[in-house]
Amino acid sequence: MNKKLLSTVLATMLAVSMLAGCGKTAAPAEAPKAEAPKTEAAKTEAPKADDTKAGKLAYKGEISIMHFSTSEESQGNGGSDGFRTTLANWIKAHPDIKVNENVLANDKYKPQIATLAAANDLPDVFELQGMNTKAWAKQGLIMDMTDIIKKSPYADKYDQSKFYPFVADGKTYGLPVLTGGTCTVVVYDSKAWKEAGFEKFPEKWEDVLKAKDYFQSKKKDTIAFGNSGKWQMNSCFLSTVGDRFTGSDWFHSIVEKKGAKFTDKAFIDALKFTKDAFASGVFNKDFNAINNEEAREYYINGSAAAFIGGNWDVSYIQATLKGKPLYDTTKFAVVPQPAGATASTNTQNIGLGFAMSINNKLAGQADKLAAATDLCYELTGKPFAEYVGKKYALGGLTKADVDLSAFDQFTKDFYNYQYVDTKPVDIYDSFVSSAVWDVLNTDLQSMTNGKITPEEVAAKAQKAYESNY
Amino acid sequence: MLSAIRPKSRVIFGYLLIPIVFYVFAVFVPLMTAAFFSFFNWKGGPNKTFNGVENYLTLLKDSVFWQSFGHNIYLVVASIIGQIGLAFIFVLIINSKLVKFKGIHRTFGFFPSTIAAVSIGFIWTMIYDYKRGLLNWFLALIGNAEAAKVWLNDEKLVMLLVSIPLVWQWIGYYMVIILSAISSIDKEIFEVSELDGANAVQQALHIIIPLIKNTLLVCVTLCVAGNMKAFDHIWVMTKGGPGNESMVMALYGYNISFAQQNMGYGSAISVGIFIASLLVIAGTQFIVKLVSEKN
Repeated sequence: MNKKLLSTVLATMLAVSMLAGCGKTAAPAEAPKAEAPKTEAAKTEAPKADDTKAGKLAYKGEISIMHFSTSEESQGNGGSDGFRTTLANWIKAHPDIKVNENVLANDKYKPQIATLAAANDLPDVFELQGMNTKAWAKQGLIMDMTDIIKKSPYADKYDQSKFYPFVADGKTYGLPVLTGGTCTVVVYDSKAWKEAGFEKFPEKWEDVLKAKDYFQSKKKDTIAFGNSGKWQMNSCFLSTVGDRFTGSDWFHSIVEKKGAKFTDKAFIDALKFTKDAFASGVFNKDFNAINNEEAREYYINGSAAAFIGGNWDVSYIQATLKGKPLYDTTKFAVVPQPAGATASTNTQNIGLGFAMSINNKLAGQADKLAAATDLCYELTGKPFAEYVGKKYALGGLTKADVDLSAFDQFTKDFYNYQYVDTKPVDIYDSFVSSAVWDVLNTDLQSMTNGKITPEEVAAKAQKAYESNY
Repeated sequence: MLSAIRPKSRVIFGYLLIPIVFYVFAVFVPLMTAAFFSFFNWKGGPNKTFNGVENYLTLLKDSVFWQSFGHNIYLVVASIIGQIGLAFIFVLIINSKLVKFKGIHRTFGFFPSTIAAVSIGFIWTMIYDYKRGLLNWFLALIGNAEAAKVWLNDEKLVMLLVSIPLVWQWIGYYMVIILSAISSIDKEIFEVSELDGANAVQQALHIIIPLIKNTLLVCVTLCVAGNMKAFDHIWVMTKGGPGNESMVMALYGYNISFAQQNMGYGSAISVGIFIASLLVIAGTQFIVKLVSEKN
């Protein structure tokens, strides 16, 4: 009898535990506690959170936050380290508030946050990707932060141009976060190019074609590129090259739906150039079969004389090459000007692709909203900006003075490339809709394989744009 | 006597309830929910608008979906021939008296099926790699370096190349199933047939296949079901590329739902995959039955 009773109880417990596992819980499933930064340097250099503010927050309870600054990512990425450090300091300064962190790597974060948005189950505070702003604002998922931004203690220091991806119908839905990093940079070995007869990286694409013959004779790839993930050609090439052909007004017209089309001649010209550039033999033959992480290894191991990628690649290259001869000869350049492109020159696409955003459900909870707002201010404001400026020579939403003299030549050069010597243009996939970019990115692969024409790519992108945006 | 040890009905029901609840929650509820959402124009979030069968009409005209369906069928055919066909031949070889260390062959043959599909994808990506891959290295070694190519970027070959890891992974799995089926055949039948002068091929065709027909049917069903939901290793190897040349239905559904955030149409694709898979499995069983009845 007892055995029977026991087995019934155990079976019931098992069933209940299975059901409980499926139920909704207050805290996210993966909610590791915030870790204080591990490095001693980070501890000492980190600015202290404003203790006086801690007293101002009346809220006592939980706040859920979801972000993609993982501890692994923060090892080589200044923005990520700054985010984690600032967050840890804020948590320390507010002992009455329990912060439930859900940290995922960037590529897992994007589908996960989209799924939570679809289920109307977003965390209290999270990182909003620019291209989701319009759709999520329309759905009422994210809070209109226009007034919050105006009232920020750091408002006068904000770089207003950074807000553009997070504006919908004149309202701003987030505080741009992390560091402004370029998405398109040519990283090149100045020594190898000098040997090829170029004192600095060519400013015209025709000259790159000339250099190709030299590097081929040396059994080297002229430029390494990886596009197996499909997004790289858009983010790290076309977005900059497109602007050279179309100018920024065209893209703003696309974003604001003011009449520009993907089938416009200037954009098709940019696609034609992209097709020809990748067919010219300048790039490694396997560019569509490897990703950017593998392509940058071609540069690091010397089998390519240059590499095109984003700031995340530069962080990795810097960490890997430090102490090696190639570190000292590595320089940065913009993508050389294509023949026939007259709309802009010396440009690179840069911006803040994500913003701290607040769940609209907090609208009726004044104390909790105040706490969430304060957290967003800190993560994007002075404490963050000073930390990344001082430690990494990086800039974000809030302007802070950066003393370059404390950094080595590599860091100085990259700082100047990103913020001083070049003109910024928009990152295509920070805007519009992933439904458009997913179609375009897939077709770019087919186009560079010679399967479809630039005109067909443009027509399909336009169709996706009209039906999804 | 039997009723004395037979548990009471409610005990049986109680135990059965656990897997049933789990099955209903993990399979039935999502399927029904997907079917429900497939009638909406839903780009995520709380707002969705009912649009009737519009998603299904789009699906019928969606060339990428049908291209993906074709790729799934390719995988099914390649796997039935490659996995079950080769497994059957390997079993016959292992069973022959000439082969030593049968246990080792069985164990190592089964081993790849215990590896995660993602790892398999990475392993084979390295084999196919253009600059550092084993395949191109081997071609250079035998003096045929000009045949080296960017394998996974070859639109004509990519489906074959992503099928090979699948075949490699699952041969051992089907070997174990077929081995156990063959071992249940009475040994006397083989002895008698040998006395009558039957060779190995005749034994395979006229004794083994008819006697393990039902097991083979189960293998085919498992193979079809497994390949209609192929996803992981293709995601790792090509992400469906180049372009959509190795896109499969599950990956396309995932892209639409999560990369493009089109949940309504993504749900319609899921239902489409379910129906297409059911039809293919039913069709395969029908064909197998038809062939075996004729025989």
